[in-house]
Amino acid sequence: MGEMNIKCSLVITLFIGIVLFPIMCFAQPVEFHGFIEASYGVKLSNDTTKHDAYNLLEQRFQFATNYYFEGENYLADKGAVVNFKGDFLIDEYFSGRTDFLLREANLLFTPFDFLDAKIGRQILTWGTGDYLFINDMFPKDYVSFFAGRDDEYLKKPSNAIKFSVYPQQFSVDFVVIPYFTPNTFAEGDRLSFFDSFQGEITGTDSRRQFIEPPFQMSNNQYALRVYRNFNSNEAAFYYFRGFDKNPRSYKNEAAQQLFYERIDVYGASIRGPFCSGITNVEFGYSRSRDDSQGNNRLIENSIIKIMAGYSKDLGNDLQIGFQYLYEQKLNYQNYIDNLLPGDYFWDEYRHLVTNRITKLLLNQNLTVSLFVFYSPSDKDGYIRPSVGYNASDRLNITLGADLPWGEDETTEFGQMKKNKNVFFRIRYSF
Amino acid sequence: MRKMFNLFLVGAVVFSSMSSLALAKELSVEEIVEKANLAAYYSGDDGKSKVKMTIIDSQGRQRVREFQILRLDIQNGGEQKFYVYFNKPADVRKMVFMVWKHLGKDDDRWMYMPALDLVRRISASDKRSSFVGSHFAYEDVSGRGIDADTHQLISDEGSYYRIKSIPKVQKGNEFSYYIVTVNKQNFIPVKAEYYNEDGKLIRVIEALEILEIQGNPTVIKSQARDLERGGQTIMEFSDTKYDVGLTEEIYTERYLRRAPSEWVR
Repeated sequence: MGEMNIKCSLVITLFIGIVLFPIMCFAQPVEFHGFIEASYGVKLSNDTTKHDAYNLLEQRFQFATNYYFEGENYLADKGAVVNFKGDFLIDEYFSGRTDFLLREANLLFTPFDFLDAKIGRQILTWGTGDYLFINDMFPKDYVSFFAGRDDEYLKKPSNAIKFSVYPQQFSVDFVVIPYFTPNTFAEGDRLSFFDSFQGEITGTDSRRQFIEPPFQMSNNQYALRVYRNFNSNEAAFYYFRGFDKNPRSYKNEAAQQLFYERIDVYGASIRGPFCSGITNVEFGYSRSRDDSQGNNRLIENSIIKIMAGYSKDLGNDLQIGFQYLYEQKLNYQNYIDNLLPGDYFWDEYRHLVTNRITKLLLNQNLTVSLFVFYSPSDKDGYIRPSVGYNASDRLNITLGADLPWGEDETTEFGQMKKNKNVFFRIRYSF
Repeated sequence: MRKMFNLFLVGAVVFSSMSSLALAKELSVEEIVEKANLAAYYSGDDGKSKVKMTIIDSQGRQRVREFQILRLDIQNGGEQKFYVYFNKPADVRKMVFMVWKHLGKDDDRWMYMPALDLVRRISASDKRSSFVGSHFAYEDVSGRGIDADTHQLISDEGSYYRIKSIPKVQKGNEFSYYIVTVNKQNFIPVKAEYYNEDGKLIRVIEALEILEIQGNPTVIKSQARDLERGGQTIMEFSDTKYDVGLTEEIYTERYLRRAPSEWVR
């Protein structure tokens, strides 16, 4: 973590020095935007994390700016723009620890009419799901998600180069990610989870170590999307070569070491109007490259996922959405055959349904929303109600809850069941 | 001789204006509606404008939305594409809303959320819902299909036509009919009054200022008032230009994710 911070500060310093400083000195005044926010999440159940009373207590200052190159130079000629966005954080959960989180620092330009390039730290998203990701293999922050931060923080930035190519018939996005960024997941300090080494829901007692792929050419990650429209319908094919963003595989059991196994993901999606709503279908096959036959009990197996969704505007600012996700572990028999006594084992199938209801009131200044995950196969779920009110054009107040539950302790939402909270956020935007 | 000529000239002017009046009288209600639709929503082959919406609720609280619109006509009087780039308020800054307007079927709508780099598809079955929380409906901003209603000319006195339009399908409309006042000279609809089933006036949209831009009479300030619940929205257009050379390329995912900085920023 310390090393990460040093690397991070180095990047920021270089960025400010090389890009922002000359801009600030010589160019027209730059517009700044952002917000100040205070968040507080009260915990509803006890576990062994750092604090029992709360799992979110922080103040955040975000600032963002863009610079459009102008004048007679190559970058201006190519429509270049620099995007910058960063958050200063005072995290009372960690005794007032301060942090700077660089969310975006990239250069976007169009070297040729048919090509856009975006270089630097950026948020990357694609795919058709609502909170469900099959082909979006970019890093996510599930701690923010479960702790009640704004949706923006579910997506983590990647240090990447993105080329978007636009020949006549279709469009192509090709992303090269040289630095590995894992998901942020429950580690026991803020959110408790099921630790297979401890055999129970664990907090600060967790001693797991995570082995990240080192920075080297052979560990570059690649993500590709080829897409086009057929009238009102959007079709896409996806390919990803890289690493699982969650450490699901075991490196060294005695040392409690986990690692991020290599995967290839092949997928496709379509989205378009259907029955006076929007329907999407997405498929993905994730091949576990280090254990493609499923013979190694320590390495996650290959998996297929398929999802279908439907959303509709019922009028009067009422929107509903439903999704169904099916997951199946492949080579399951091989996996079972290779397990050792005492191993925890995972089911072959998983069914998950979701439901979103959003209602806007008071000239769309009040947003009442409910998102529900429910898995009949895992017998678990996650309920996310929230109410957001724009008290003015600048001031927003949001009240919500994160209510994961489950019959078992080992399932995706069941292991989060002691992290239930009710959160409150107040944000002033400028 | 000179006097004679002047008289002739006056006569010619009178005659020609009479003939244009006579010609105008011969327009069917469908023709008037069509011309009004073109004048209100299809000026030029494309257009760009900055828009400021001041939304005042029934208690006098004020909200301001600022955005830029890029409009492209695919067919005059037919399909159109809209690109809406938000500048204010701060929490929606850089969001993009894109519409492919169709006639006779649901529009296609997309929303781009820059903080998440997320392109969302939005279900568009309800064209009567409020546009960005204002007192204007989506349809008021992008136009209502002229085939959606049956039209009836109820008056052509003075310099205005008054047309009563009744939805062919009542479901999904909060009004049971509306009356549009159209300027005979330039076919700009200057007022639309919406009535409920009891014949009570519930909503009024009015053009407050009209300016000729590149030969197109253009409403640069309009007002929508909700007489039932109270509240109103003032919509002001600035920097309006027509025939700026927009292309269909802009209305794609490429420019949703990467706003075309030569047009909007």
